[in-house]
Amino acid sequence: MTVLGRWLLAQLGRAGLAAWAVTSFVFILSRLDATKPVDLLLGEPDAQRTTLAAGASAARRLAVEQRLGLAEPLFYVSRAQQAGVVSWQWHGLHNQYHHWLVGLAHGHLGLSFRDGQPIGPRWRAALAYTLPLAGLATLGAVAGSLCLGLALAGGPQSRGWRAGLHLLLTGLQGLPLFAVALGLLFAFANPDVLNILPAYADAATAEEAWPQQALRLVLPVAALVLAVLPELALLLASILSQELSADYATTARAKGLTTNQVLIRHALPNALLPLLTAWAGLLPTLVAGAVVVETIFALPGTGRLLAEAVAAHDYPVVVAGVLFTALARLLALALADVLYAWADPRIRLTP
Amino acid sequence: MKYFWAGCLLAGSMGSCSQPVEQQAHTAVRIRWTRDPENLSPLSLSNQNAVDAANLLYCGLLQADLATGTYAPALADSLPQIQLLGDSLTHLRYQLRSAATWDDGRPVLATDVAFTLKLIFCPGLPNEKVRSSLNFVRDIRFDPTNPRRFTLVCRGQAPEFRFESGDFPVLPEDALDPTHSLRRLSLARVVAASADASPIPALTALAERYQKADIGHHPERLAGCGPYRLTAWETRRFLTFERKPHWWADALPAAPLVLQAKPLQLRFSIIPDDATATLALRRHEVDVLPQVSAREFKRLQASAAAQRDFAFYSTVSYEVVTAGFNTRRSILRDSLTRQAISKLFDPARLLQATQLGQGLRTVGLLHPTNDRRYYNSSLPLPTYDLPQAQVLLRRAGWLRQPTGWTRPAANGQPEQLALALCYRTEESTFKTIALQFKAAATLLGIPVDLRPVEGSAMTTTLREGNFDMYVRIQKGNPFAFNYTAILHSRTANEGNFSKFGTPTTDRLIEAVDAATTPAQKRQLLHRFQAMLQGQAPLVPLFFLPYRLVADRHIQHLYPAAIKPGYSAPTITWADKAAAAPVQQ
Amino acid sequence: MSQPTRRTTTASRWLATGWLLLLVSGSLLAPWLPLPFLPAVPDLAHLAEAPAWGSAPTHWLGTDPQGRDVLTELLYGARQVVSITLPAAALATLVGALAGGAAGFWGNGGLRLPWAGWLTGAAAVWWGLALPGRGVVAPGLLGLAGLAWWVGRRPGAQPSGWAVPLDGLFQGALTLLGAVPRLVLVLVFAAGPALGATQVMGLLVLVAWPEPARQVRTQMLRVRELPFVDAARAGGLAPARVWYRHALPHACRPLLATAPLSLAGLIGLENTLAFLGVGRSPDVPSWGNLLGTLQQEPGAWWILASAGGALVLTLIALQQLAQQAVKRN
Repeated sequence: MTVLGRWLLAQLGRAGLAAWAVTSFVFILSRLDATKPVDLLLGEPDAQRTTLAAGASAARRLAVEQRLGLAEPLFYVSRAQQAGVVSWQWHGLHNQYHHWLVGLAHGHLGLSFRDGQPIGPRWRAALAYTLPLAGLATLGAVAGSLCLGLALAGGPQSRGWRAGLHLLLTGLQGLPLFAVALGLLFAFANPDVLNILPAYADAATAEEAWPQQALRLVLPVAALVLAVLPELALLLASILSQELSADYATTARAKGLTTNQVLIRHALPNALLPLLTAWAGLLPTLVAGAVVVETIFALPGTGRLLAEAVAAHDYPVVVAGVLFTALARLLALALADVLYAWADPRIRLTP
Repeated sequence: MKYFWAGCLLAGSMGSCSQPVEQQAHTAVRIRWTRDPENLSPLSLSNQNAVDAANLLYCGLLQADLATGTYAPALADSLPQIQLLGDSLTHLRYQLRSAATWDDGRPVLATDVAFTLKLIFCPGLPNEKVRSSLNFVRDIRFDPTNPRRFTLVCRGQAPEFRFESGDFPVLPEDALDPTHSLRRLSLARVVAASADASPIPALTALAERYQKADIGHHPERLAGCGPYRLTAWETRRFLTFERKPHWWADALPAAPLVLQAKPLQLRFSIIPDDATATLALRRHEVDVLPQVSAREFKRLQASAAAQRDFAFYSTVSYEVVTAGFNTRRSILRDSLTRQAISKLFDPARLLQATQLGQGLRTVGLLHPTNDRRYYNSSLPLPTYDLPQAQVLLRRAGWLRQPTGWTRPAANGQPEQLALALCYRTEESTFKTIALQFKAAATLLGIPVDLRPVEGSAMTTTLREGNFDMYVRIQKGNPFAFNYTAILHSRTANEGNFSKFGTPTTDRLIEAVDAATTPAQKRQLLHRFQAMLQGQAPLVPLFFLPYRLVADRHIQHLYPAAIKPGYSAPTITWADKAAAAPVQQ
Repeated sequence: MSQPTRRTTTASRWLATGWLLLLVSGSLLAPWLPLPFLPAVPDLAHLAEAPAWGSAPTHWLGTDPQGRDVLTELLYGARQVVSITLPAAALATLVGALAGGAAGFWGNGGLRLPWAGWLTGAAAVWWGLALPGRGVVAPGLLGLAGLAWWVGRRPGAQPSGWAVPLDGLFQGALTLLGAVPRLVLVLVFAAGPALGATQVMGLLVLVAWPEPARQVRTQMLRVRELPFVDAARAGGLAPARVWYRHALPHACRPLLATAPLSLAGLIGLENTLAFLGVGRSPDVPSWGNLLGTLQQEPGAWWILASAGGALVLTLIALQQLAQQAVKRN
């Protein structure tokens, strides 16, 4: 097996181990306090319904806890502190963690607390919305940052239209994401201003022609692209400017190449490394989604699913989300390392 | 230059692609929801949207009538007859309508009601919430001569049993129990089983069948006798309900409001963000926007185009913004201190600022207009009064030192007046109230620690008493005056977040709950409101309004103070836009 | 290629420094300035009003949706920026550079910890977690560690022990922070008392260090293969010195572009924390809260212009200073 192959295997193994460790950590941390999901499911006591006897309410809580599987011990061991003395207790295989792990090994992610539905189909449905959104946004950000970075670095950045573009990009960076999204919404979907794009992702009919579906994605994708573009473009412009002042660039220009040719053929390959790092940072959104954009544009994606599950203390959904996000992030890191090795052959990947 | 024209062409073509849907044939009504109902099982309705959906799919014995503001008979043909037995039992006699049938033509009978109650009390099902609201029901007795007549046996003698006993969806027996195996079990036996969780095979089998049918996501498997059928549900995007072509209540000669269902299709779109929802309304992608915030309401009213297209409604709801004290804290143990601190809130200006002046101030927890028979208008409204607050603090034994207000505690040590105020982060109204309170307290030299709490942690914080003061929305009940859940010492670990209660106040609350004649109720409620102002365990600031914006062509919306604030099944489209003023 | 003239360079440098000085002085002098309104006091008669320069007392920059005067909030919020957010950005960049540099330079097999170190660590963990029998096991492990150290001190001993998987730990930490930051914050901090300034800064650094760290690690992967690093090692310099004095400065080149822009992210993060109920008390003025109120009142252009404008000017000033640092290199 080649060095790259061994490295890839080692990396995937480490990624799996790390994802399992992170998910287990979140599993245990979230379930340390079992009262919140029960509280939320039982709801606030309705003000004027006739009250229960005190014992009945405790029985009700116990019933809900048993139904959700929260009545068992949490882990194989547990730590108790009494009067300053710490003691560890063994619980055996009947604990929440073991059940979850066994279920995971069989491919079952568990049942949601809120409605008892299996989690896998829910995530698949949410991914169907997030993948196009985040995928298009990533492509747009990559293309946009390349174009804008090259344009900015082509000349002095302190005068002319380049200074204006620089200022505009810095201004965009200063805006929070929700401000960009709301701004686009009020500019392009507002009957008072320009009413040319749909405001939210609702299907007017059961089967909609794909141009209409594509139109509904324009504003969310634009919002995401505008939010990440400034940092990428300014980073590329800065690195390219630094490369242009290097000796080899002067030599190339002395040979008669135009600035653009120097940029694209010589400076850009050297500037690829930081750019690839920044681009690889966009990949986890393919799985984790972008909560703000999905909420504002009413897209039922994975970001919203995870945020709503956290707010409702729906731990199975949260843990499944953490598992997917961790895997996505680790795979993105591994992919980035492979790309570094491709971009700069001097980089050695050791397993 | 050519790029400029190409761009214009592109924008123009995109504009023509997505024309807002304007004058379609008005058979459908599109309403906005903020969140997904998540679970449409009639036993475990987790949020208000699920309750609204269940009201479309199922019929109950009694249903809330938004026009009159009280319960009206739906499946029952009249309100139940009450018979009090001794001093601890109530018999409620119901008669079902003879026209009521299920979709397959079978009549709705008392056996279906009995089966529904057994399902509600069946252990092992996610029915804890609806069970707790019906836990006074003990048994059901059939009438041998009339299969549509039955009597509910209730433990206790509260007057609100009359309404609460009929507020549950009646479910068909044949769908989950085709062999009628549960008829052998009496309801009393099932109720006992739910209390001590002893396993009965028939009940376990029923629970298994229920879980396997997954009613929460397939309510058609337990089809009710309501006017609508769920035809499409994409989670967190939209739900579509279609009117059944032949519904039993169509045959009634004079259908009451609770049995009317006009729209052929009801479509609920889930749009979490308020700004997006307002834009959707402006683009005519939704027709009704319920629960509009003050800001969006103001912005829509300011736009001339919106004024032309839409009608604005506002009613005062039963939800009170309340500030409360933790009466178990030593600094807040006496009523004088609590009265003094309650004078640091400025309800008049807060109402004007946060609710555009809509909503109503109140002296107690009663609605000034809807409950005006029992409202004690001789009491003064809570106002902002710093000098009086200082006087009251001094009378309570507090002395103002350079370091703050101190007084000797019960054990002789001096205690410092410093408060921690908890409220939910998401509500901006609470933030404004908290900031105003802190500014006023700073003028008096009282340090206040503001603690916004994330929504899901708020219930736990309140229950465990990790606060000195809170600001929250107290939901009221339009149908009964029962303050046991929030002010009785018995519920100090449940809904009584102030942990308030003395024997005198407990007796008063129990008397209010048990009062039968209106004169008696009025006298007791006047005393109750006076007690509330004197003891001040909580300070009711103002009632919140329900704001509604709808297309001008929509009629019979019945904006009301009862949740959800409008009536969807009664909506009709008029040909000409009505000139509907803003209703207060 | 035409260089920007010296006059433009000096002018922009003076403007940048001038703005930053204005920021710092505004934040320090805010309590003594004759402002018509106090911070965090809602003016209930004027919620979310545009600037109106007619009647007195005037809201020069308008009010936010809670009725607080925007000018006062901006000036007092500058204290939060100067004392917490800017240092947090600088600290996050520093921590990130060190962590990413170490992970990139030594990778998974570079840094060897001798057996003595591993055994001491195991003893500390056993004792700290109070695992059963710690009175016996921990001293036993310490004894073994001492033995290993004595054995390793003999001349001619081979370097022993396992390598610390720095890169693996780095990627694990990145994944943990990337997958779950808000959840952990909600679970751990919600419903507690408001955090102090140092704790908020610690929280911001914790969430913000991965970004610069990844950039430095990538650059370090390239820099460690360059000839001068090999030359330094061949010259007999200790690896740590090679890393710190020679490799790390080269690997930090991309940070000059990204570090100034991270300020915007941190200010947005403060706002997100406030939404979760974590962080400073809501009456402490901050630019993040001010920008966050735009979500409640999207039409408040005056808040966008003032707070957004101040933030953008600060970003530009920081970028100018960073560019001067590049040119001086």
